[in-house]
Amino acid sequence: MLGVMLIAPCVLIFCAVIVYPLVSAVYLSLFNIFTPTLQGNFVGLQNYAELFAGEEFWRSLLNTLIWTVCTLFLQVVLGVAAALMLHQAIVFRALARSLILFPYFVSTVVAVLVWRWLFNDLYGILNHLMMWSGLLQMPLDWLGSMPNAMVSIVLVGAWKYFPFVVIAILARLQTIPDQLYEAATIDGAGAWSRFTDVTLPQLKDVLMVVVLLRAIWDFKEFDLIYLMTGGGPLIATQTLPLMVYKEAFGLDAMGRATAVAVAMMAVMLVFMVLYLRRMGKEEAR
Amino acid sequence: MKRVAFNLMAWTIVLVTAFPLIWMVITSVKPQFELFRIPPTFWPEEITFEHYRRLLWETPFLTFMRNSLILSFSTTVLVVAVATLGAHSLVRFRYPGRERLAQLVLFTYLLPSVVLILPLYLMMVWLGVANSLLSLVIAYTSFALPYALWLLRSFMQGIPDDLESAALVDGATRMEAFFDVILPQALPGIISTSLFTFILSWNEYLYALVLVNTDSARPLTTGVMSMLVSSFNIEWSLLMAASVMMSVPLIIIFAVLQKYLTRGFGAGGVKG
Repeated sequence: MLGVMLIAPCVLIFCAVIVYPLVSAVYLSLFNIFTPTLQGNFVGLQNYAELFAGEEFWRSLLNTLIWTVCTLFLQVVLGVAAALMLHQAIVFRALARSLILFPYFVSTVVAVLVWRWLFNDLYGILNHLMMWSGLLQMPLDWLGSMPNAMVSIVLVGAWKYFPFVVIAILARLQTIPDQLYEAATIDGAGAWSRFTDVTLPQLKDVLMVVVLLRAIWDFKEFDLIYLMTGGGPLIATQTLPLMVYKEAFGLDAMGRATAVAVAMMAVMLVFMVLYLRRMGKEEAR
Repeated sequence: MKRVAFNLMAWTIVLVTAFPLIWMVITSVKPQFELFRIPPTFWPEEITFEHYRRLLWETPFLTFMRNSLILSFSTTVLVVAVATLGAHSLVRFRYPGRERLAQLVLFTYLLPSVVLILPLYLMMVWLGVANSLLSLVIAYTSFALPYALWLLRSFMQGIPDDLESAALVDGATRMEAFFDVILPQALPGIISTSLFTFILSWNEYLYALVLVNTDSARPLTTGVMSMLVSSFNIEWSLLMAASVMMSVPLIIIFAVLQKYLTRGFGAGGVKG
């Protein structure tokens, strides 16, 4: 009885701010609602029909997938590499770790402001460095044209979120017994084969979890993309979360916006179920 | 020799990663005219704190800062208090539906905000609290509570059962055992959960963008962005100064309480 009373406040808040909005989102997606007045009428599945018949939804879904796959790939590669590096004895290791982790903890707003200043076409340091080193002849328009805009957000996404991979991998690396490496060395394994035969198999489980989590979070990323490019040029970098926002507050079609959100959620559900299954197995162990 | 080369390489990589943040600090103390020098100077020829002075006295920055502090503190206190009780219940008590509930918590922890935000927006309008810090505190619990609950649950699972049993044998009630035995044991976990929740709320952007559109209730994230949008020619040094000021609380948390943060990493307590 006491146990139920202790969890009751949590359950109440959950119902108010999560369960009710979730159900309500599905319900609202069946209406045609004008955002400024919040007046609407029932239209059934028409929002979904329009969505799937139009081009914009599919384009946004494709953008979301491109962004997620590319930035996730970079995050994992950079994250594992940095974790292996920080696992070694280097001078001022604690400071090095903090510096590497910091991008993950600063606000996305800060990250975006800094990068937009670095990317600035006239006075940005990035164009200067690249022209000075001969990589570029002319200043590059990093955010206003394609495919540069997509490449830019993917890079900034990788920079901002790879520390998450570092944290998870570093924690796991510390638990790999040294004997495994000693045995491999005795068997004549070089540095590379020690990595592929000892380290990677040990990291497999945690990598799976990290990839699933980051896939979910990258898929629903709003702040970074919205603030970097606003989805532009035109809709070239518009992902699904940005489309939801645009429909609701740019085009004042609240009903259609929730339909996009619900459709997006349906796609994400695949990853979410995979992750929950995985965690369920770990709990059972 | 090999060690030196490796160290050199490692630190080059670290510094390249940290460069954007270093550049932010450098830009914030350069005089305005020096920003538009071609080629740009790396070290400022002249250090000025003019931008910080203007930021604090001539822009609504301090209002945003106050809002962010109130918002993050209230969210953290509310969420951690409720979640501590809830996590204790999930770990130490048996009742039907307990496992389902734990799964539901994990599920909600992954939910995208964009799905919840439109109904929450309607709810705030209907409750008549739209455009206030209160509406943001309510909305923030939707991501902070599942997060804190999940994190605290994994911390509390690490506390041995025997401790509570011993207290119960000595005649304590379950609530007494909770306050005298469990709570002190869980304190490090509670502290790191609070820190993470605070950082999460401090950095939140989307809810603040949708739910609040007056300067008097804007937190730092949307407030600073509105400074970018509203100015005709973008004053980068001012914005960089704002970015530095916005990160100060995080740097303090990082430096002073690193021990608690690493404990949080261990429990899988990192959210994007």
